[in-house]
Order: sequence, then C-alpha cells, then structure tokens
Amino acid sequence: MQIYMTITNELLHCGKTANGLPVLALPKKGFQKKYAVFAAHYGSLDSEFEVPGKGVIKVPDGIAHFLEHKLFEDETIPVFERFAKYGASVNAYTSYNMTAYLFSTIDYFPEALGELLHFVQTPYLTEENVAKERGIIEQELRMYDDHPDRRIYRNLLTALYHNHPIRLDVGGTVESIRDITVELLWECYRLFYQPANMAVAVVGDVDAAEVMDIVDSQVEQWRFQAQQIKRLLPEEPDSVNQPWIEERMSISQPRYYLGFKHNKYLTGRELLKQQLAMNMIWHSLGARSSPVFAKLYADGLINDSFEAGFHGSPQYAFSMVGGETDDPEKLDRALRDAIAGLVDSKLGAELVERMKRHILGSYLTAFNSLDYLANSLISHWFHGTSYLDVPEALESLTVDEINQCLSEALKPEWSAVSVLLPE
Amino acid sequence: MNFAHHQIAEGVDLYLCETDKFATVTVKVFIQDSLALETAAANALIPLVLIQGTKSYPTRVELVQKMENLYGAAFWTDVEKIGERQILEFYFDVAAPHLIPNGRQVLREGLAAFGELITDPLAEGGAFHRDFFHKEQANLAKMVAGIINDKQAYAVWQAVKAMCKGEPYGLYKYGEREQIEKLEPEAVYAHYQELLQSNPIAIFVVGQSLEELPELIGAWPWRRKALKELPPVSVKEEVREQEIIETQDVHQAVLVMGYRTAQRYLSPDYYGLLVANGILGAFPHSKLFVNVREKASLAYYVDSSLEGSKGLLTVTAGIAPQSYGQAVEIIRRQVAELQYGTISDDELNRTKIGLISGIRKMLDDPAAVIDRNLIGLVHKELRSPQMVMERIAAVTKEQVQKAAQGLQLDTVYCLSGPKGEA
Repeated sequence: MQIYMTITNELLHCGKTANGLPVLALPKKGFQKKYAVFAAHYGSLDSEFEVPGKGVIKVPDGIAHFLEHKLFEDETIPVFERFAKYGASVNAYTSYNMTAYLFSTIDYFPEALGELLHFVQTPYLTEENVAKERGIIEQELRMYDDHPDRRIYRNLLTALYHNHPIRLDVGGTVESIRDITVELLWECYRLFYQPANMAVAVVGDVDAAEVMDIVDSQVEQWRFQAQQIKRLLPEEPDSVNQPWIEERMSISQPRYYLGFKHNKYLTGRELLKQQLAMNMIWHSLGARSSPVFAKLYADGLINDSFEAGFHGSPQYAFSMVGGETDDPEKLDRALRDAIAGLVDSKLGAELVERMKRHILGSYLTAFNSLDYLANSLISHWFHGTSYLDVPEALESLTVDEINQCLSEALKPEWSAVSVLLPE
Repeated sequence: MNFAHHQIAEGVDLYLCETDKFATVTVKVFIQDSLALETAAANALIPLVLIQGTKSYPTRVELVQKMENLYGAAFWTDVEKIGERQILEFYFDVAAPHLIPNGRQVLREGLAAFGELITDPLAEGGAFHRDFFHKEQANLAKMVAGIINDKQAYAVWQAVKAMCKGEPYGLYKYGEREQIEKLEPEAVYAHYQELLQSNPIAIFVVGQSLEELPELIGAWPWRRKALKELPPVSVKEEVREQEIIETQDVHQAVLVMGYRTAQRYLSPDYYGLLVANGILGAFPHSKLFVNVREKASLAYYVDSSLEGSKGLLTVTAGIAPQSYGQAVEIIRRQVAELQYGTISDDELNRTKIGLISGIRKMLDDPAAVIDRNLIGLVHKELRSPQMVMERIAAVTKEQVQKAAQGLQLDTVYCLSGPKGEA
C-alpha cells in the first residue's frame, strides 16, 4: 500500500487487490461514522461501446441508472434489510461517468462492507423484477420533470450539444427505459463491473490494513471476465446545437442560464488545473464578492439564486451561469458584456491571491465531511487526478495560466442560452 | 460532544463544544421570537438585510472579500421555524487556527466581523439602510411566491397550512406577501433592536482551542434589557378530516397526509412517537417504503416526518395521479397496522438502531451537532445525545403502539395534474 499525507495531517492509504480492484482508505480519528463507496467507472455517457466478438453495441438511455436500481434486488433478503440489521444506511447514485454504491455505519463496519461488496457482485435480475422497477423509475423521472432546475439544465445541454450523450438525463426517458431488458442489463454489467474498472473508498475511524483485508477476501471469489472497455462517443462539432432555447412551466419567475461548451477535454493534472482556473474565473464573476454580481444584483437583474460554475471530466467540459431573473434578455446582454469585459481586463494578482485563500479554506472545510471526501477520492480517481493534489495544484497555478484559460474558454460562438418562462 | 454553558448577558447564552475532530471552528447564533402574523415577515427580512453590509464593511462585496481573505471564512443568515417559534439564524465557520497561517488572528477578525453583522447593524437615522431594505423586501416577496417552484415543498406546505389554519403554525416562515409589502425600514429596525435587547439569544460554537471565545463574543456590543418570556406552543386536539385536491400542470402528483400526534417534545413518551414515525416511514426498511414503493411500485419516494414541537406527522409520496386512491388506502393501512400493534421485533430493533445511528452520525457534523439542540432550546430543555439515545433504546412495542394510537388523520391533500397519464 502507498501512503500519502493530507493537508490535515491524516494519511491516505492506496492499494490494489490481487484481481486489480483499487482501494483507497482514509482513516479519520474520533469520527463515529464510517463511510464506504464501491463504484464502477460507468455512467450515463457509456451508452455506446464495443464488445469483443460482438462489435459495437448501442444500449437504451438510462441503462446504467436502471442497473443501479436493480443491484438492490436480492433473491433472499432485500438489500436494504441486510444493512438495516447493522444500523447501516445504504444508497447509490449514478452520474455521467460513475455508478456509486455506498453506505454509512457506526457499528459492524466489517460486516456492512462485506454486504456492500457482496451485493454489487451478485445481480439478481428477473423479467418480473425488471418490469416492477420500471414503475418506480418512471415516477423518479416524472418527479424530475417537475423540477425547474433539472429542466433548465437539461435544456441548456440540449442547446449546447448536437450528439454528445450528456444532452440526456442520467436516468434516460420514460420511453427509453421501456426498452431495457434483462439481457441488456447483463451485457452492461459484465463489461463495466469488473475490478479494474471499479474502485473502493473508505473514510472514517477505520484501520486501513483491515479494510484492505476485507476487500481482498470479499473479491477473491469474484467471477468476471477481464475485458478491455472501448467507450464510443459520437462525433460532436465545436459549434452549439441551438443558441437559445425556451420552455414554459408553472414557476413564479423566469430563469436564465448561459452555457459554454469547452471543446478540449483534459485528464489528470491538466484537468485539475483547468477546474481550479475555471472556478476562479467564474468566482470572480458570480460570487458575492464580485463587483459584477453586485451590479447585476443592484440593477434587479439577478437574486441570490445566481450561480456560476465549471463542470469538467475527461469525457465532457462545460460551464453554466445564471439563475432567476425578471428579464432574461436584459440579463443576457449585461452578462455577455461582463464576460467580454473580464476577458479584456483579465484577472489580477490580488484577486487570484484572495481566491487561492478562499479555495484553500473551502478545501480544508471539506475534511469535516466523510461523505464528501470518499466521493471526491473516487471521482478524482476515475478522472486520473488525485484529490490530495488540490492544494499543490492551486499553489502552482499562475495568474498567466488562469488568464490563458480565460481567453480560450469563453467564446460567444460556443455559448447557448436556456430560458424557462412562467406559464 | 457536550457543550459547556457560559452566560454572556441576560438571556444571551453561549454554549462551547471543545473538540479537535474538525478542520473548522463553527459558530451559530439563534435569536428566538414568537411566530406571529405581525412579526413573521419582519423576522424573515432582517437576516436578508443584515448580510448586505456592516459598519466596517458597508457593502456585501467588501464583507465577502474580507471573509475570503480570511481563508474562505463562510457565513450566511436565514430564518427557521420550530413549532410556533421563528428563529433568526446566523452561521459562520472558519478554518481551524492550527491549519492556516496566523490562524488565531484570522479567527479573531472573522468573529469580530460576524459579531458586528448581528449586533451592530448598518443603520441610518434609526432605520435600516433604505436601499438594502427595499431591495431585500422585493426579493423576499419573490422568494415567498417561489415556493410554487418546488412542487414537493409546495404540497407539504399547502397541506400543513390547511391543517393549521387559524393557528400560528399555519404561518409561513418567510411571512406572507401582504405583510412583506407593508414593512418599513424604521419599524423593522426598531423591532430588531427589541429582539437584540430582550429576546432569547443562544450562541453555539464547535471546534478546537475555544478558550478565548467567551471573551471575544462577550465583547460584541450587547445592549441587553430584561429577558422577554415567549409563550409555549398552542395545542389543538380536534381534527378536521378534510380532503383537498389541487390541480396544476404537473407530471407527478404529490400526496400529503397530515396527522396530529398526541405526544410532543415534553411528553413523557415522546420517544415512543419518534420510534413509531421511524417504523412507519423514516427508513428504507419502514412500512411505507416496503409497501408503497417496493411491493406496489407506486412511488419513487414515500416517507413520513415528524414535527415534534407542534405535534404533526406528515406522510409524503410522489405518485401517478391515477394511483391516488390506492396510495391513500395503502398508507392508511400502514398507520392502522401500527395502531393494532403489528410491529415485528426486526422493525422495532432496526428502527431504534437507525435512529441512534442517526444521532451518532450527527456528532460528526459540526452544524448538526449544533442544530440538534434547536428543539430543546425552544422548549428550554436541552437534551444530551447520550440521554436521547438511552430514551430511544428503552422504547417498548407497547409505547410505539400507544403513540400510533394517538395519531389522528387531519388532512389528505393532493397536488395533482394532467401530465402524469401513462
């Protein structure tokens, strides 16, 4: 096992089982809770891939999320009950590039970790239980249809992208999930749920060597076929699909988001630096410390829902900025002017220094949250970065590098607007 | 995770929890007032105005820049509702002094700015800064109108409002539109001065090396007068037995069933009720999740939650509009099962373990360590985590059944719509 020290003087242990499953353990003294995540590097973007001997397969949208629901099925004792027995709470989520199964517990940590590793390795799929799940997921998707945040976000990605599957909801659609079958679920499971494409992260008052032993013994008997994964992403032009998209729903006030697609997808340290630089750029515009925010706020164009941020991984990269407004057109003009102004004037050294302090303080605060730490350790792992490298990458980032990023990233021709209007 | 008590002034209590567990020092200040039609809107507006600037940092930009320079010290304000109290809430956290350069000084400067924001607001001629005031007044009115944007929260609130019509609990925590529009910067400023002088104020701090804190917080400009007594929560015994169906253009119906409970925080068998709510719908092993979701496949989410101060239990489920009758029937049956005492040993034990684990997990989160005291603060009876865990562990099946028998269905509310048809 390799050991790295965190900024809070704690030790992160990194190891690998004999069959290639990475294990990250960060013991935290004095905490009651133990939190574990077992995740597959497999999400909603992986809907087209090559299977050796079978060629290219395109599966229905939402299948990764459907599979996440179905792994909670058990032939004898329901998975929720297996954890309830230990006072542990179990859950899962699916994102663009990851499916994560997790639990937190106070007592019986070894037993609960064993249950987690076990149930993810043993799918129980029948025609009947797959049919039953459709009703539940259909209600989940309809719930999101009534969330204005989700709608405006999805519309924005549809406007930015022509073909990239990031246009679609992680859960797919009510129609697409009707095409999901037991056979297709198995196909995806066999390909993506293999040790080398997964990882385990544990944070809490645990013994790292013991964690390693439990994981080792639980995955020893895992029957899987090691296969190379070839993910296919459709060809995506640099241009946007449509510059302005509008929809009406029953809301109290219009909402406006401006999005930028970044056509360079980075990985590893480059990605980390891009994330930090873009965070600073958006912070300098959208944070409460920003004169731009203050002006838009004073002019009554925005309220405290206003936000700005960058979302990037090795498979996608985009930014979005906006919130509730009474006048989307006027906000659009003001915001584009402010962005053009920022690109011209660039970020100054004093501002960058203040933001470095701010980001470092927020990074420290995150060490209070076991959940956040465990999930960040895993998602950074899949991105080819390390969460522990953040302070060093932050320190080394220069004003010039940030301004270089600024001049490349925010091109008007790569932007689109999504607006929601009250009915 | 126990708090040491220090009295800062008449009715100003400081609670310190010394621990080296966290990477931060976290501070929360609570100012209590009665929830009342005359003051609800003003109390909701004050926290929004205060955060716009202070005497030392007269704009929000300057104030936030100052905090960013203090290694990203974070602060926010809000208003809470617990039973029939409205609580002005102020939050501040800063990186633990030993983890950053000049940590002690950073803590002192941050606390001073935070204290000034609360105790010595920016004022002009006996009124709040007029521009800030009117801007936030307009924002608050929009925020209140915005409850319609979150269908689940909207539905729960409509149900509770219908249930508690005519009672203080039926008032929205951010006030109502007509009251917000009537607010004036002079009157609201005078009201806030009264709160600062006479209402109960509690300050909680969690973190490491807190020995300076009583002195630092004691140095905020307190101008206390006699402590005001706030009335206890009102209790209503009879139920309405009403059914309300509201139609909007939604894809999913939200069903809310509101029950009145016979026990509340100060009742001797309150913890029987807490366990009853857990068995009914607070966990994935609960009756509601198993029967409404897993067996009948009617919902993605279904749960029950307890307001232990006022004594309300609400069941919420997102369903297809056409499942309304079936869902109501299954939910009623689960409550009836509890009332008959159909409770397995597994259900009882898992729920108790789940509740106790929940309390222990709170102890890992500095804000939760503080917030779990709010209900005790309102009832002037803070309870330690150890005591609550012992009380939960001691709950019997008979106590759960008795608590369940005290549940009376008051209101069935459904936000329904035309788009959910398959």
